[in-house]
This record gives sequence, structure tokens and C-alpha cells, in this order.
Amino acid sequence: MSSSSPLLPKQDAREAALFFVVSALCFLAALAGLCARSAYAAADKWTDRVTGEITVRVRGDDAAAARAAMIVSSVPGMQEAHALSREQAEDLLKPWLGAGGVPADLPLPHLIAAEAAPGASGVADSVAKALKAADIDATVDDHVVFSADVARATDSAGLVALAAVALLGATAIAVIAFATHSALLARRDIVEVLHLTGARDGFISSLFERRFMMLGVEAGTSGALLAFAAAAFILFVVKQSDQKIWLLPQLSLSLADGLILGLTPLVAGIAAMLAARVTVLRSLSEML
Amino acid sequence: MRERDDSLDEPAVRFDRISLSYGPETDVLSDVSMSLAPGSMTFLTGPSGAGKSTLLKLAYLALRPTAGRVSLFGVDTGRLKRPGLANLRRRIGVVFQEFRLLDHLTAYENAALPLRVAGDHERRYRDDVVELLRWVGLGDRMDAKPATLSGGEKQRVAIARAVVVKPDLIIADEPTGSVDDDMGDRLMRLFRELNKRLNTTLLIATHDLAMVRKSNADVLRLADGMVVRQPAMAMPEAGAGSETQ
Ligand SMILES: Nc1ncnc2c1ncn2[C@@H]1O[C@H](COP(=O)(O)OP(=O)(O)OP(=O)(O)O)[C@@H](O)[C@H]1O
Ligand SMILES: [Mg+2]
Repeated sequence: MSSSSPLLPKQDAREAALFFVVSALCFLAALAGLCARSAYAAADKWTDRVTGEITVRVRGDDAAAARAAMIVSSVPGMQEAHALSREQAEDLLKPWLGAGGVPADLPLPHLIAAEAAPGASGVADSVAKALKAADIDATVDDHVVFSADVARATDSAGLVALAAVALLGATAIAVIAFATHSALLARRDIVEVLHLTGARDGFISSLFERRFMMLGVEAGTSGALLAFAAAAFILFVVKQSDQKIWLLPQLSLSLADGLILGLTPLVAGIAAMLAARVTVLRSLSEML
Repeated sequence: MRERDDSLDEPAVRFDRISLSYGPETDVLSDVSMSLAPGSMTFLTGPSGAGKSTLLKLAYLALRPTAGRVSLFGVDTGRLKRPGLANLRRRIGVVFQEFRLLDHLTAYENAALPLRVAGDHERRYRDDVVELLRWVGLGDRMDAKPATLSGGEKQRVAIARAVVVKPDLIIADEPTGSVDDDMGDRLMRLFRELNKRLNTTLLIATHDLAMVRKSNADVLRLADGMVVRQPAMAMPEAGAGSETQ
């Protein structure tokens, strides 16, 4: 005999269903968050790696290629430049022509791999001008088009993931608000008796806020743990099959991922609490 | 013992030209004016569906009148903000016609609910609640949930909950409707004790005319949306002691 029983009865079936729905939404939102994060990281790494790289294709004999390499390396803002040997060029072609070999008499273009200093701009243009001035027939490719494509692709993947996170978050909040409302209707007798006994609105709403914040935190935690397990599973499968899929090398679990996973239960808890508060106070305001 | 304040010279309940309708049809109450002196004991009678529960709901601030003014302890309740209304409600003990116990709480916890709402600590009120429940004959049912209580036992828990804070005003809707005559007399004695010792104002709706006659209290008779005050002795003789139709 003690008055330690909570004023709200224990979870009922309705709240168990809500727990499942919120967990699922949190799982999807956290996973979308991880995807957005990894897409951004991938875009960063790719553009980092690619910008600065300049490839020069020289048409002409070995002497022209050697002269071109010297000119390229002397352009201001150039960090490093070297002509690729025939073996190196053949290496590059292997994936297309097979390891069996590049026919010895196949004329290969002379390639110069160069790298501009980080932050230097317009280097590719200077290279093109310098080569033209020296009357060397060459094509300069600074991968700008390619890296812009990569950035655009990963940016839009990130944006889609962010939109998914926003949508899932909004859905979760709406579902929580709706469920709070129906839980409140089921508990209207309790709310009314407390109200008529002289309980303040804040007292009554805090009962529901606490209940639904706990539900949000617990459901958010289980959703985040599931998302973590899913991400770890994907990572494991990828490492096992040893495939170099272009986005996945970035899908290692980083600090930012930890933040996303840790924030999920927190946001779910706060969303549930606020939804409960608004719903309870609104329905109390309909009572005298 | 509660501090007495100057509001206690004012009528505990005062209706000024109250009308109430639940819908666009006829009024349940039309232009009702009445007042209850502090420390008075009043029965509210009238046929079933006359509007007794409705009148009580207006008095315990569960309903807003369609027109008119409800004042409690000299305070015009229409002018109060929500915290002020909550404070007034804490001075009123209500026995609802349908009891309205919380199903997941024990009899003891239900009876102690107003104390808990008021923020009291259990160690301070525990003995009082236990004693009160013994007094209404529920000493061995304190840990029972409402679902396992009889109608009369539930009613007694509801009465214990209404009186446990020693309120200034007790409003009871058919508080003895589910108990036998002996228990009814015992519960009425509890009300009268509070009335005499603590000057608690009582407003009790009932069909039980025998009980009304025995108590020698004021009577408000409600019919056709209007209230007529009758001296206790002038009650019509209704053979069966009940006027339910
Ligand atoms: N919430 C409501 N909505 C609509 N009509 C209502 C509502 N509550 C009561 N009524 C109607 O108002 C009238 C008065 O009801 P009330 O409960 O006050 O009667 P009563 O005198 O307490 O009756 P009883 O003696 O049977 O308890 C009835 O006709 C009833 O149908
Ligand atoms: Mg009634």
C-alpha cells in the first residue's frame, strides 16, 4: 500500500505499436543520415583527389614528349610533372586490352602526369598556352568536367538523403503527435479527474511529456542501434567481397556517424515530448 | 486546521441568472439564481433528467454556463484564469454520480489522489487516508483496484477522495445511491461531521426523500429548468422515498 503507482497506467498496446513505428522511422532516418554523410564525404574525397591532377597527351616523338614534360613542370603553380614510360602507359590500358598485352607496334600517345599545387588556379590553361607557344601539339585535360560531375552526383545523392532525413523526421513527429492525441483520448477520464481535482495544466502535461519522451528515447535508441547494425553489416559484406565500389570506401563509421546515431534518440525524445506537450495542453484548453 | 479567510462570509456557491443548454434545443437550466451560505447543507432534488448533475457540474467548474455568472467563495469564476480555477477546484471535493475512480490505482491511491495532486508527501497524509478508509468500512479493501470493488465500495472510495483534503465545499451527486440504508446513514454522518466541525458547505443531489427528511437540511427542487427552494419540513410525502420515474 503506497501511492508510488504512476498516475498514468503502464504502457498499453497502442503505445507498443507506437514504439514499433517510431523505432522504424528512427531506423530509416538514421540510415538516411548515414548515407547523406557518406555521400558528402565521398564527394569531398573525390574532388580533393581529382582537382590538381592534370594529364597532358602529346602527339609527336619521344623528344617532343620530353620537351613537353620540361615545359609543363616549369609552369608556375605546378607541383610535379613526369612523362609516363611506355610500360606505365600500357599498364593504364590493361583493363581495356587485357593483361595479354598491348601489341608492341600499337602507337601510344605520350602521356605526362602532372599535379598542380593545391589552391593554384588556371594552371591547366597556362600549361596549354606554354605548350602552344613552344609549338607542341598536345591536349591538356584537368578533369574539371569529371570532378564537377562527381561533385554534382554526390551532392544530389546527399541532398536526396537529407530530404529523406527531413521527411522521415517530420513523419515521425506527426505520428508521435497523432499517437499522443489518441493516447490522450483513451486517458481522457484520468486527465479530467486530475483536472477537476485541481491539478494544474503543467502538472498533467508533464505526466504525458515524461511518458512520451521516454518512449521516444527508447524507440530512437533501438532505431539507431538497428541502423548501426545495418551499416556495419553492409561494411562487412563489402570488405568480404573486396569490391571497390566508388561510394563505399567512405562508409567507415566515423565520428560524424556516431553523432548521427547518438542524436537520433535525443531528437526522437524531444520531438515526442514536445508533441505530447502541445497535444495535452491543447486538449486541456478545451476544458473549462 | 485550515486558515479561514474573509471569503468565507461570502456565499460558497452563487448562481446569478444561469442558463445552460447542451445543444440548440431547450435549456436544461433557464435563468436559475440561487446561493448557498457558507457552512450550510443543501439537498438538490428533482426528477431524473431534470438537470441535477448539470447544476452540480456548473458548481464544481466542469461546465461553463451558456449565460449568467457562477461565483464561488465570492469569486466570479468567469473572470479567473486557469491557475485561479485550479486553486478554486482544490477547495472543492466532488463525489461524481459515476464515481470516476482511476482503474489502475488502488482504493487507497484513489482516495489519496487530491493530496498527491496538491503536492503533499505520502508520509504526511498516509495515516489520515488509512483512518478515513477504515471509517467508511474499507479497512480491508485498501489495496483493491476499482474493478474488484462492489458498487457501494466504489462509492465509498469516491466519497473518501472527496473529503480527504477537508475541502471548504463538498458537492456530491447521489452519494448514497449504491449503498444500503445503514451505510447511507453512516456516510451522511460523515458529511454532517465535516459540516459541523469544519463548517464545510454541502450540496448533495439525491432521489432519497427519506434521507432528506431525516436530515432537516435545506432543499432545492429542480423541475422544468427552474429551481425552487423548499423548507425541509415542507417536503411532499413520497411513499416509496424515491421519486425516480
Ligand atoms: N453532455 C450532455 N450532452 C447533451 N445532453 C446532456 C448532457 N448531459 C446531460 N444531458 C441532458 O441534460 C438533461 C439533464 O441531465 P442531468 O444529468 O443533469 O440530469 P439529472 O437530474 O442529474 O438526472 P439523474 O437523476 O438521472 O441523474 C437530460 O435531459 C440529459 O439528457
Ligand atoms: Mg444526475
